[in-house]
Amino acid sequence: MPDQGFVRINGLHKSFGQGAVQVFKGLDLEMGRQDRLVIIGPSGGGKSTLLRCIMGLDPIDAGEIHIDGKLYISAGGRSQKNRIERAIQRQIGMVFQHYTLFPHLSVVGNLILAPVTSRGEAKAGATQRAMALLDRFGLGDKARSYPAQLSGGQKQRVAIARALMLEPRLMMFDEVTSALDPELVVEVERMMVELAEQGMPMMVVTHDMWFAKNIATRVAFCAGGVILEHGEPGAFFSNPKLDRTRDFIVNILRAA
Amino acid sequence: MNYHLNFFFVLRDFDKLLDGLVVTLELTVAANAIGLTFGFGVALLVMSPVRVIRWAATAFVEFFRCTPALIQIVWFFYCVPILFNVFLDAVTMGVLALGLNLTAFNAEAYRAAIQAIPRAHLDASVALGLGWRARILHVVFPQALRMALPVLISNAIGLFQQTALVSLVAVSDLMYQAKTLSTQTYRPIETFTVAAFIYLAISFPVGQLVTYFERRNARRLAG
Repeated sequence: MPDQGFVRINGLHKSFGQGAVQVFKGLDLEMGRQDRLVIIGPSGGGKSTLLRCIMGLDPIDAGEIHIDGKLYISAGGRSQKNRIERAIQRQIGMVFQHYTLFPHLSVVGNLILAPVTSRGEAKAGATQRAMALLDRFGLGDKARSYPAQLSGGQKQRVAIARALMLEPRLMMFDEVTSALDPELVVEVERMMVELAEQGMPMMVVTHDMWFAKNIATRVAFCAGGVILEHGEPGAFFSNPKLDRTRDFIVNILRAA
Repeated sequence: MNYHLNFFFVLRDFDKLLDGLVVTLELTVAANAIGLTFGFGVALLVMSPVRVIRWAATAFVEFFRCTPALIQIVWFFYCVPILFNVFLDAVTMGVLALGLNLTAFNAEAYRAAIQAIPRAHLDASVALGLGWRARILHVVFPQALRMALPVLISNAIGLFQQTALVSLVAVSDLMYQAKTLSTQTYRPIETFTVAAFIYLAISFPVGQLVTYFERRNARRLAG
C-alpha cells in the first residue's frame, strides 16, 4: 500500500440535531495520492455526509482530517466552530448530485466565476483556459449556452469542468450520475475515467458498481457510522470479509 | 348631464403638467434607486444570523409596511425637522420618505427570492472557494434580482402612483400641478382626468414588463 497518507481521517464523529442522529462514530479512513477511492454503502449510512465534511460544508463534532500530512480540519470542541485550513480547502474540488450550475451565468461564466472573483485571475486568461477545458471534454460548442439549455449529462460535465478550473489536487464526486437518465450516465463516466487516467486522486460516492469495479483502486464500505471494510476492488467484491458487506454487494448487484 | 367638458384650459397649460411629470419621474427614479439597492441590503439583514440585526431590520420593514405612506411623508416633512433639526429640500425629503417606504417593500420581495435560491448553490459556492462577497455579488444578488423582478416592477409602479402624496407637502409634482391648475381654471374634472391619463400612460407599459419578465424567468431559471 504505497503512500497511504494523502487523505487521512481520524476518529471522525458527527451527528445531526444536537446528537439525535449519529452519523459517524469514530470513522477512520486513509487514501493515497494515487488512489481513486469509491465509497459505497446503504443510503443513510453517511457517504455523502463524509464528502461534505471533507469539503468543509458540514461541521464535524470530533476528530481530525489531514491532507498531505497537514492538519486540514479539526473539531474545535462541542460549542466551537471547526478549524478549517482554507488554503487546503481551495485545493479540493467537489461535484454534487444535482448539478449546481448558476442559471444566470453561461457555461463559460460558470467556469470563470471562481478563478476571476476569488483568485484574481484575468478574465481573458481564465476564459482561454475555460475554452481549452471545454474543448477537451467535447463541450466547446456549449460555451455560450445557459444551463437551462443543456441536458443533464452536459450540465454535470460542465460542473466537473468548473471544478477542474481551480486545478484541484483532489476531486470528490457525490453521486454525480444518480440523477441522470441511464443513457446520459455514460458521457459523465467517460469524463471521470479520463480524469482517472490522468492520475487525478478521486473520492467517489456512487451506486454504480461498474465504476467501483473497474475504475476504483480502493473501495470502502461505509455503514453504521464507520468504514466497515475496505480494500482493492478485486478482493473486495470477490471475497468480502464481513457478512454485512457481502449482503450489501449481493443485493446491489442483483438490483443493477 | 348639464356639465360640458372643456379641455381648453388644461391643454393650454399642459406644459405645467409636464413640468410636474418631470418632478414625479425624478422622485420615482431616485426612490427606486434607493429601494432597489437598500432593499437587497435590508433583505440580507432580515435573514441575518445575528438576532439583534434581524430584529432591527424586521422592525424597519414592518414600520414602513404597516403605516400609511401619507403619514410617513408628513412625518418626514414635519416631525423629522422638529425632532432632529434637519430639513433638506422638499424633493430630497420626499425621495427619502418614498425611498425608505419602497426599501421595506422591496426587501420583502428580495427575501422571498433569496429564499428560493437552492441551498445547493451555497454549497457549490463554498466548494468553489467563493468568498462571502463574491457569493452575495455574483451568486445571490443576480439570481434574487431576476426572480424578484416582476414584484420589484410592480412595487415601482405602485411607488410612481404614491409620489402623488408629496403634493400635500408642497412638492410641485404632477399631482400638485394638477391641483393648482384645477383651482385656477375651475376645471377639476378635466384637469384630474388628464393627469390620470398621464399616470396611466406611464404605468401601463411598465406594467406589461412584469408579464414579460415572468415568462422569461419561467424559461431561463428552470435550470
